[in-house]
Amino acid sequence: MAPVADDATLVARIAARDPAALREALARHAGSLNRVAYRMVGDAHEAEDIVQEAMLRLWDNAARLAARHPAGTPAGGALRLSGWLARVATNLAIDRLRAARRVSGEEVPERADETPLADTRIEADQRDAAARALVMALPERQRAAIVLTYYEELPNAEAAAALDMNIKAFESLLHRARAALRQAFAAQGDAR
Amino acid sequence: MSASENQNGAPIVPGSPLARALDAYGVPELSPDFAERVLAAAATRPAATLPPLPELRRSGGGGARGWRLGRRIALATVGFSALATAAAATGLLERVGLPVPSAEKVWASITGKEAASAPASAPAVSAPADPAPAALAPVRIEGPIDTPEELGEAFRRIDEVRAGRAETRRQIIDLRIDRALERRREAGLPLPTPEEEARLRERIEQVLVRREGMAAERIEARREELRGRVENGEALTREDIVRPLREEQRMLQQRQRIERFRQMSPAERREALRQLPPEERRALIDTWRERREQRLGGTPEGDGAAAPAPEGTVSEAPAQESPQPLSRPDTSVSEAPL
Repeated sequence: MAPVADDATLVARIAARDPAALREALARHAGSLNRVAYRMVGDAHEAEDIVQEAMLRLWDNAARLAARHPAGTPAGGALRLSGWLARVATNLAIDRLRAARRVSGEEVPERADETPLADTRIEADQRDAAARALVMALPERQRAAIVLTYYEELPNAEAAAALDMNIKAFESLLHRARAALRQAFAAQGDAR
Repeated sequence: MSASENQNGAPIVPGSPLARALDAYGVPELSPDFAERVLAAAATRPAATLPPLPELRRSGGGGARGWRLGRRIALATVGFSALATAAAATGLLERVGLPVPSAEKVWASITGKEAASAPASAPAVSAPADPAPAALAPVRIEGPIDTPEELGEAFRRIDEVRAGRAETRRQIIDLRIDRALERRREAGLPLPTPEEEARLRERIEQVLVRREGMAAERIEARREELRGRVENGEALTREDIVRPLREEQRMLQQRQRIERFRQMSPAERREALRQLPPEERRALIDTWRERREQRLGGTPEGDGAAAPAPEGTVSEAPAQESPQPLSRPDTSVSEAPL
């Protein structure tokens, strides 16, 4: 099994316009970016667009990143591509949510119910919809805090960096996000 | 609900009812051909025309993030007040009447679209025309600026406007010196010798170059921040560019008001100050003091300008007879665009 290239080496290869390196970056990061994007915007097509745009931003900015984090140096060792991509994808998602709100006035894109039947499937869909509603009811940045820390299990420091916040401000945001989630969850229970 | 979950902002415990509810939020897989699509898009992506990289200012790791962030904020704050697009030739320029373009006009010069008509204030002297918005370049800026290419193009257009304004500024300064000399000649006052005049012009040029250099540093810091934001996926809106202009315009209005006070007689000035609401009077005096400190910091002799001062303390500096202070470039020339 070939050794996995570190992030700085991978970025240097992307900067050199090596498509195999971009493919490797996709294999490593596209899945997690898709989870972040989907849970932020709640729409599979939008999420794919966000992941694609984030990867193309990497393609465009690889030379700059490689110059700042040369492979084989301490600066190169400090590069965390997953964090950089998470930040890009989160920002793109927030931008899209804001743009959608400006256009339609809607907070949450509704997904058409395309699935048929079977009780178990219906029940699963209901649970999924309830969870989606909980997450989507959060303001964008609170939602991002939950997506990054709960679903993606990023340490607070990394999630804070992804949102370009200092750790104290992020912890405060996360605290508010959890409180809002609990309140919404309790309200769902009351409604049932 | 578990006890820990009753603490509102506490971490969500795995296996708790809330966690089970959240875990039901599934994510569909990416399309099977997703990677191929991205690779194809990358292959057809136009070559990035990124501007040259700035010098590395810091190492990659370490716990200095707070300082870096603080420095960025400080630079941005200082930079914002002084930068922003061609709105900035205040200070000396406000005296010589170079019109400062509106935020809308500056944005139009960046995007290449027509600005809503916003007449500039009438110049005090007949100044050369404001440089026309830069010609459109091949890169089109559609909607928000969200790619390095668009940002680079915006910077390029701003630089064109800045270069035009720098040239205009020099022409106006020359014109002002010539007129001041003419007035002195007509009044029978002593004139500088050609050597003295050359030294004066050289000194003014040096100050201008120094100011432009300082502004360029602030602009580069601001640009670096904007590049970082675009790099991180943010889309820069008109507001990102225009907001600092509005602030700059507010400061300009304050300076213009000071300038008007300067030209009043002491009695008129006292009366005008008395007419102002206390907050405005306070703000005006603070601004004037700030400007005076800046000037004195750069040139120890001061300029003899009469300040708006609290009642009873109005400065009444006499007009100087020396040919030296014909024109002073070291008033606050807060520079140009991003």
